[in-house]
Amino acid sequence: MSHDHSNPLPSYMKVFYSLMALTVLTVLAAKQLTFPHEWGTPGDILHVAIGVVIAVIKVIAVMYIFMHLKFDHPMLRFFVYIPVFLFLVFGFALNFLESFTYTH
Amino acid sequence: MSLALNLSHEPITKIPHGKLAMWAFLASELMFFSGFFGGFIVLRNTNYDVFGAGSAHLNWTLALINTFILIGSSLTMALAIHNLEHKKDGAFRLFMGLTILGGFGFLIVKYIEYSSKFADGLFPGQENHTVFYSFYFLMTGFHALHVIAGMIPMAYIFFKGFTKAGYPYPSKVETLGLYWHFVDLMWIFIFPALYLMIPYHVAGAH
Repeated sequence: MSHDHSNPLPSYMKVFYSLMALTVLTVLAAKQLTFPHEWGTPGDILHVAIGVVIAVIKVIAVMYIFMHLKFDHPMLRFFVYIPVFLFLVFGFALNFLESFTYTH
Repeated sequence: MSLALNLSHEPITKIPHGKLAMWAFLASELMFFSGFFGGFIVLRNTNYDVFGAGSAHLNWTLALINTFILIGSSLTMALAIHNLEHKKDGAFRLFMGLTILGGFGFLIVKYIEYSSKFADGLFPGQENHTVFYSFYFLMTGFHALHVIAGMIPMAYIFFKGFTKAGYPYPSKVETLGLYWHFVDLMWIFIFPALYLMIPYHVAGAH
């Protein structure tokens, strides 16, 4: 066995319940907050920020507990960090180029 | 001291080769889906109304059910691995079977969802629907293909578990589990992106 945690079952159940609760929270937040009619306004940013933050928390929980990143060799984390970093660069670059095209 | 090369794991970190290869594959998969999400973000911002109108026709309740199914199947996969590592073959078969059922459940709900889109005249690859539906079919379609791809080795391992010797390779099931959790991870992002973080949802049809 590659990980040394002896009884992971309580952690698994905590993650499971957390994922369920956070999913419900995502839906409630999306349904309760009114959407603005324009992109990039504070209301739109708030919607996206809440959805993204909750999704990231859920993903970290799954990766660290279900996928054992917390218990396995730290080197494996780079298989996540590097693609995520590249995605952020890619996302920012695309958005910057898009807005640059519209403003110039 | 033996100098023979051990092929079961990487010599310095002791990470099993199968697991290392799976993480490298998942990194490439992450980049694959990143392309979709990167394009989705840019086009959502420049086609705000189009994405809002498209999303209002999606059934978020079915997507929510699918989210619960995938989260549940992630748990049962983790429990299947745990039980196989502790040589509890009966519990392993039970949880692996439940994981496969979760995959089938997801696909059935997806079939229902797609059927309603097809009934409305919306098909993948059509030129007369909006850019939102291009993303919808692309992202959910590729995700569903990943679910099917995960279920094939799971079914093999499940049926192998009923043989006299049982399934003797917990590390292989753990590697497969990484893939299945990744499928869950992608859905965790796809669900709010397509179904919830879009305007008009509060006043939407569903």
